[in-house]
Amino acid sequence: MKRVAVIGVGNSKFGVRSDATFPEIAFEAIKEALEDIGITQKDVELSVVGTVGSRLYEMYPVPLINEYTGFTLKGPIRVEAACATGSAAVFTAYNAIASGYVDTAIAIGVEKMCEVDTPTSTAVGGRGCYLWEFHMFGTSFACYYALFATAHMAKYGTTEEQLAKIAVKNHHYAARNPKAHFQREVATETILKSRVVCWPLKLYDCCPISDGAAAVILASEEKVKELKAQDPVWLEAIGFGSDTGNLTRREDYTSLRSARIASEMAYKMAKVEPEDVEVAMVHDCFTIAEIMAYEDLGFCRKGEGGSLIDEGQTWIGGKIPINIDGGLKAKGHPLAATGCSMIYELTKQLRNEAGDRQVPLKRYIALAHNVGMTGQYCYVTILKR
Amino acid sequence: MSKTPEYLAMKSRTLTLTHDIPISKTKTYWEGLKKGNVYATKCKKCGEIYYPPQVDCPHCLTSDVEWIQIFEGTLETFTQAYLKPQGFTHYEHDYIIAIVKAAEGVKVMGWFEDIDVKVAKVGMSVKITAKTMPDGFPAIVFKPRSQNKP
Repeated sequence: MKRVAVIGVGNSKFGVRSDATFPEIAFEAIKEALEDIGITQKDVELSVVGTVGSRLYEMYPVPLINEYTGFTLKGPIRVEAACATGSAAVFTAYNAIASGYVDTAIAIGVEKMCEVDTPTSTAVGGRGCYLWEFHMFGTSFACYYALFATAHMAKYGTTEEQLAKIAVKNHHYAARNPKAHFQREVATETILKSRVVCWPLKLYDCCPISDGAAAVILASEEKVKELKAQDPVWLEAIGFGSDTGNLTRREDYTSLRSARIASEMAYKMAKVEPEDVEVAMVHDCFTIAEIMAYEDLGFCRKGEGGSLIDEGQTWIGGKIPINIDGGLKAKGHPLAATGCSMIYELTKQLRNEAGDRQVPLKRYIALAHNVGMTGQYCYVTILKR
Repeated sequence: MSKTPEYLAMKSRTLTLTHDIPISKTKTYWEGLKKGNVYATKCKKCGEIYYPPQVDCPHCLTSDVEWIQIFEGTLETFTQAYLKPQGFTHYEHDYIIAIVKAAEGVKVMGWFEDIDVKVAKVGMSVKITAKTMPDGFPAIVFKPRSQNKP
């Protein structure tokens, strides 16, 4: 396997982007990524585009994205892994380079979610399993994660206040991230008093429905030298995990098995331990998901995720700063863009380019944890500089 | 519910998407729901029980199953849905979605009825039944068993 580096990253503004179509948003991220390393489309051999696309007016959006952004002849591969689509795109591009098939590739994640109304978006998104779940019970993703919240609270005594603290932290950092969907801080009381969406989850426990795109350009070690790339960030490992499609076939509802499997694989590949990680992006589509991620990634013991946020250990200055770009919760979660956006933020962090939100680093080891649905997919990526 | 866009936008042509889902192989299940009964399948060769029911056993690569009825179980987790997706917005009640572990070992999703969400507790015993909604769609319904009542 060849070594693979991240050499260029781009991220569009996340939010309700009624001003632009999906290729126009993809263009913003791709332009920034190409300019970041100072190359053109000609230097990129393969384009991998991730989009869930179920809310788009186009059913086959990828050739249109490639055409609009100047990648027509780059052999578009479309990938889809629900909310982990962005990581699936990075994984596919990584493998094309690691195997020696190509020397450069771009992974693009783009999602337009706000062109349909909320009940439609919820109905499309809630089809985690249509036949046995949605058809009869009207599940939504807020419901799915609420089922995990109830079980976690019952087993470990996790509280609504602890969930609220996740939202407080992530809004705090989103307010300092110009690309974030929400540019404001939120008080604990506001969160606790916000309307219930799926009990026990309230409005501020949920990520918004967002539009956005992110792009990551990858290259082999030889290509890094050839391009004289100044600040490559190495993709040391990508672990993957999966689990049942039906939620009723899970062992329990307090942890995501796929995240445990993916992280174990990634730590082993990168030869690092959870304690070595200095900054992480985790999949906080709902506040409970961040608490479970702390535990599944080994940043604390099982059941102690609530205490970790109580102690402030996941803020900058704590043991392991997490989602200091605002996370999915407040930066926004345009499904396929999320995985690429995590790599965007971590690359900026590892290059010490994160400004006000820069985490002081010594070992330069970072981790991204990107979950698809309720753990049907999970990718854990470890980056080093 | 259509929002007024801040920027110029035009309406797409309408797409109606309704499927005819084949249920020939799982007819026993869907007919059972109409009578208030919930069925799982059991592989006649290896004995594995499947819920949701499936007529093909991936372990044995055989397709010889028997249908077994499931009656009761314990509440594993639940939520009350105030957010209703398209297709459910005409239901006035904020349904409680729950997962119950049946005595047979399989887990079942359903609506928990005759209970306040604040009173529901993980570990409660429930009866597993089914009903047909006024709009014709089936629903699996959990009811608290008598020993749970104060």
